[in-house]
Amino acid sequence: MSSLRNAAKRKEHKERAQPAARLSRHGLLEKHKDYVLRAKDFHKKEATIKHLRQKAEERNPDEFYFAMEKARTRDGVHLAPTAEANKYSQEELRLMKTQDIGYLQLKAQTEAKKVERMQQSLHLIGAPAANKHVVFVDDEEEAEQFDPAQHFNTVPELLDRSYNRPRLEQLADARATSAGDAAAAAVARIEKKRAAAYRELMQRQQRQEKLGGLAQKMAYDKEVMGKGRKRKLRPEEAGGQTGVFRWKAERKK
Amino acid sequence: MKGGAKVVVEQHRHAGVFIARGKEDALVTRNMVPGESVYGEKRIAVEQEGGDKIEYRVWNPFRSKLAAAVLAGVDNIHIKPGAKVLYLGGASGTSVSHVSDVVGPEGSVYAVEFSHRSGRDLVNMAKKRPNVIPIIEDARHPQKYRMLVPMVDVVFADVAQPDQARIVGLNSQYFLKNGGNFVISIKASCIDSTAPPEAVFAREVKKLQEQQLKPKEQVTLEPYERDHAVVVGVYRPAKKKEQ
Ligand SMILES: C[S@@+](CC[C@H](N)C(=O)[O-])C[C@H]1O[C@@H](n2cnc3c(N)ncnc32)[C@H](O)[C@@H]1O
Repeated sequence: MSSLRNAAKRKEHKERAQPAARLSRHGLLEKHKDYVLRAKDFHKKEATIKHLRQKAEERNPDEFYFAMEKARTRDGVHLAPTAEANKYSQEELRLMKTQDIGYLQLKAQTEAKKVERMQQSLHLIGAPAANKHVVFVDDEEEAEQFDPAQHFNTVPELLDRSYNRPRLEQLADARATSAGDAAAAAVARIEKKRAAAYRELMQRQQRQEKLGGLAQKMAYDKEVMGKGRKRKLRPEEAGGQTGVFRWKAERKK
Repeated sequence: MKGGAKVVVEQHRHAGVFIARGKEDALVTRNMVPGESVYGEKRIAVEQEGGDKIEYRVWNPFRSKLAAAVLAGVDNIHIKPGAKVLYLGGASGTSVSHVSDVVGPEGSVYAVEFSHRSGRDLVNMAKKRPNVIPIIEDARHPQKYRMLVPMVDVVFADVAQPDQARIVGLNSQYFLKNGGNFVISIKASCIDSTAPPEAVFAREVKKLQEQQLKPKEQVTLEPYERDHAVVVGVYRPAKKKEQ
């Protein structure tokens, strides 16, 4: 029965806030919940130290361990085993690098997918125009007299709004331009959410670029580590870039 | 509904096209087949004053050159409710489905695609949309489908072929009425991957003029596509070309 009671989630009772009078006298005091955590951690460490101390005291100096066979001393001091310099072979390192590259590529791809999903309904509407619009006219005179507002049959204020420049007839028909003030208010409300969505989109795009770039760089490093006769190019040969290699053309069987 | 409308839909300059602003920020068309997506695109239902709902489909400018051109501010797309459109290079019919939404039940879209693999999706899409007529043929041989296509108001081309201008010219001779319009999407790298895009566009415009296709405007598609342009113009076979 009690086990069932334990399974059901019970309400967590929070300690009351420190009364204002005592707050000023003692400053902010630790809550019991935090004290318990701290005490548990302390006692755990205490127990560990006690245990180690006991083992050291009861140690049998004549006991044999297999590790002793390899252990060495220098000037009577035990040499602790350190990481060996060439623990992994070149081939093994290459394999590890492949795995790292694979992971980065996977992450870059995941970001790319998310970016695409978000772009499906975030069309950069109203972003400053990055493109070019050319209107062809018949002669010089027409080019001189060209009036964009007249050409696009809209009001001059809307010329910059390339994503939608309603025609004058549409502007006269109020229904067409907007769904009214109520709609404007609604738009303002969702504006914040949309701005956040665009921010996220931009961050993901940047992350994807970084991950992709890193994966590419690592792949290149891996190739450099690999087989094939190659020569490091001087910066002036490689268009100012350093760390560029050229491989000897080799006939593949 | 909680907290009022979640999305506001405004009319676009081009009839049949709308902009939905809400959590989304998207170009949309009114779905002719409510309740169904064609290629997994998002749908947005908006409640009208009367209580009935209108459903829109998101038209992704990162996927469709025509959508990109619309947001890039092109003056005219000529594709409007009731129009007859010849669509060259329909692929799987993703953009075609939006053109079908725009022209509505009164208009029609003749979608030409020569790849059987993409054509299958196109045909399946057309089953749900009576205003789409799929044609699995090479657009270089319009005589093969001349019995299927009447005179049209607009030729739209997105075939991504080096001889695209010639293909459009040929199809215009067969199917485009005098004073009809053309809209063509040019991918610079498909025509000449070494020349600067600006030069490629200029050369294509020249080629179009030689086919009695008179360009009226040209927009590039940044930020949706790089080194792409859409050229819109009018077909003038009879009159002498003015220079
Ligand atoms: C860039 S894709 C079109 C994409 C489509 N407009 C869209 O936005 O969804 C070009 C298509 O044109 C088709 N195509 C290329 N040459 C063609 C030809 N000569 N006749 C018909 N279709 C062609 C290709 O098979 C391809 O599916």
